[in-house]
Amino acid sequence: MGKLRFLFALNMAKLTWVILKITRHNGTNYPGQVAINLCPDFLERIGKPEHIISVTGTNGKTTVNNMICDMFEASGKKILSNRAGSNTRTGITTALILGSTFTGKAKFDTAVFETDERSTLRIFPYVKPEYVLITNLFRDSIMRNGHPEFIGSILTDNIPKTSKLILNGDDLISCGISPENARVYYGINKLDTDIKECINLINDIRICPRCAGKLEYDYLRYHHIGRCHCVDCGFKSPDYDYAATEINRDNNTVTITDKNGTGVYEFVNDSIFNIYNMVAIAALFREMGYSHEDIVEYMKHSKVVESRYKLVTVNSVSIITQLAKEKNALAISRAFDYVRGLPGRKSILLMMNCLYDEAHWSENTCWMYDCDFEFLNDENVNEIVVSGPRARDYRLRLLYAGVPDSKIKIEMSELDGARNIDFKKNDLVCVFHGVDSFDITQDVRKILIERAKKLED
Amino acid sequence: MKIEILFPEVCNLYGDLQNIEYLKRSLKGADIIETSLKEEPYFATHDDFALCYMGTMTEKSQELVLEALKPYKGRLEALINDGKLFLITGNALEIFGEYIECDNGSKIPCLGIFKTHAVRRMLSRYNSLYVGKFIDEERQADIDIVGFKSQFTHSYGEFDGLFHTVRGDGLSPLTKEEGIRKNNFFGTYIIGPLLILNPLFTKYLMNLMGSSEKTVAYEEAAMDVFTHRLEEFMQPTRGLTY
Repeated sequence: MGKLRFLFALNMAKLTWVILKITRHNGTNYPGQVAINLCPDFLERIGKPEHIISVTGTNGKTTVNNMICDMFEASGKKILSNRAGSNTRTGITTALILGSTFTGKAKFDTAVFETDERSTLRIFPYVKPEYVLITNLFRDSIMRNGHPEFIGSILTDNIPKTSKLILNGDDLISCGISPENARVYYGINKLDTDIKECINLINDIRICPRCAGKLEYDYLRYHHIGRCHCVDCGFKSPDYDYAATEINRDNNTVTITDKNGTGVYEFVNDSIFNIYNMVAIAALFREMGYSHEDIVEYMKHSKVVESRYKLVTVNSVSIITQLAKEKNALAISRAFDYVRGLPGRKSILLMMNCLYDEAHWSENTCWMYDCDFEFLNDENVNEIVVSGPRARDYRLRLLYAGVPDSKIKIEMSELDGARNIDFKKNDLVCVFHGVDSFDITQDVRKILIERAKKLED
Repeated sequence: MKIEILFPEVCNLYGDLQNIEYLKRSLKGADIIETSLKEEPYFATHDDFALCYMGTMTEKSQELVLEALKPYKGRLEALINDGKLFLITGNALEIFGEYIECDNGSKIPCLGIFKTHAVRRMLSRYNSLYVGKFIDEERQADIDIVGFKSQFTHSYGEFDGLFHTVRGDGLSPLTKEEGIRKNNFFGTYIIGPLLILNPLFTKYLMNLMGSSEKTVAYEEAAMDVFTHRLEEFMQPTRGLTY
């Protein structure tokens, strides 16, 4: 009976997928939801690929997941993934449905799943990854994720004992996950730009995880990312198994070294965040037995998806649309930090409102006081246009960050923000948007491009 | 004017610490004393503080904070009875209750200063917008309060509330009394930049602290945000709990 129910659910879900495609709907959760509704133990029963890689963590998991998929594709290996869909239980179930035969057998021998960290408790009991790559653990949505200690405990409780962990050695929160599991650490050696004291509002590792003593950073990159030791008990960050030993910004390369070799990799993107992603991926592929030469070659075929970061230059105006994931103080701080490091005069449009929340409730804006809006208080910033439902909150937060009121313009509509933001030739216009505002961002970009085309010398 | 922040290295979630930064910018000459877990609190041996503040923390940190405060339970009770000003936000208020009941039924003993207890359900996070009123008849204060709650716990027991709920829940869904008040001990489950989002309440607090300042920092923008948020949260169709 159970088998029949499973087969019925599987094929109904496959049929649902066909109908969604015919009717031009996306619905990457829906077939999985249908299957689970019809057969509650569906995820347990469906065939899984022999090798499963799970990519999880607070920030960067989509980028890393997609890069890994690109690289497998470049290597000629066909893999199953959820890159086109959701990273929750129903999304991964949908991917497994599409990657199975009509009798539920896996059609692929390898899968790469971006896995929402909070959803692992409903996924990992049934989908057991051979490798779990954790990009980092930071504060995320206050409403959903609470704090990284909570997310870390979910991962520790649910990662199978057989999984090998690929961990960011510069992130002590990740390092503490599933302490009994086999693991390797990756990281980036000390950089000239490193500091000793945190300049960010968020630093979630200020005390020793062993004795609660004071942690002293040997070097710190941002937030709690860096290497530290406890002044009381001697606890210290783990040594790297895979290290970025040289970052060459003239050649746009990063040298990654492990005990068996070295590879010189071309930047996929020059932000430090993406260099961490590159080292993480190199560590994963090295663990799977690939040579540096092959990984270097495959990585050339990977890229950061454009919906997250897009630069167009029109009539000498650079227009950047940068995903700054709504309500995620850390992701937005990183995005602000990256843009403030770019040279030249800038005008900025803030529109990372959580439109989903606004439609139902009202966005919880506490994140703004965890987020480094202070990075926008920069002499190169010409104007900041605040827009959308939380425009007033942005203005107050910017004033709090020290930005003069004369530089702040309120435009309740994002499109009016694009129409009225002040810029001239050779300026950089940066639009910070959330996931909810992808569609509006396209229209905003079009308006900015049209305005840039019309600029005269 | 001395303001003590207890354990900022762990009691710092959700932007809570910006409450004190905002006070510092609004008051002239505020002296901020940060006490870490391994130090003796300033309040332990001094009476000359205008405010003692503690913010939201993780569950493991609650246990560290309890260990750090246990030796000072009697002193804390005496200070509260004497009317010293405490502002305690988020789950920090649970420290002052009798115990925290965990998911597995175990109980973490707390300071027991108030007859309340918290029930923690880690997989059942409670999120809510909040509208309430702060009333102080003696000082003729009747102040609207807006804010956000996001927590794994609710608290129950016998207590006098800090805010009277207009929309949302109180200390638990069973009561409209929000937070805990005894004399000038102000504890609330509201998280984050409570004072920045409530400039009128901040002025009241500053007055209570002995300040003669008539305005708060960024007052025009803060009042603009406050007024619109209050109007928004009072819309009958606006969802509150999620």
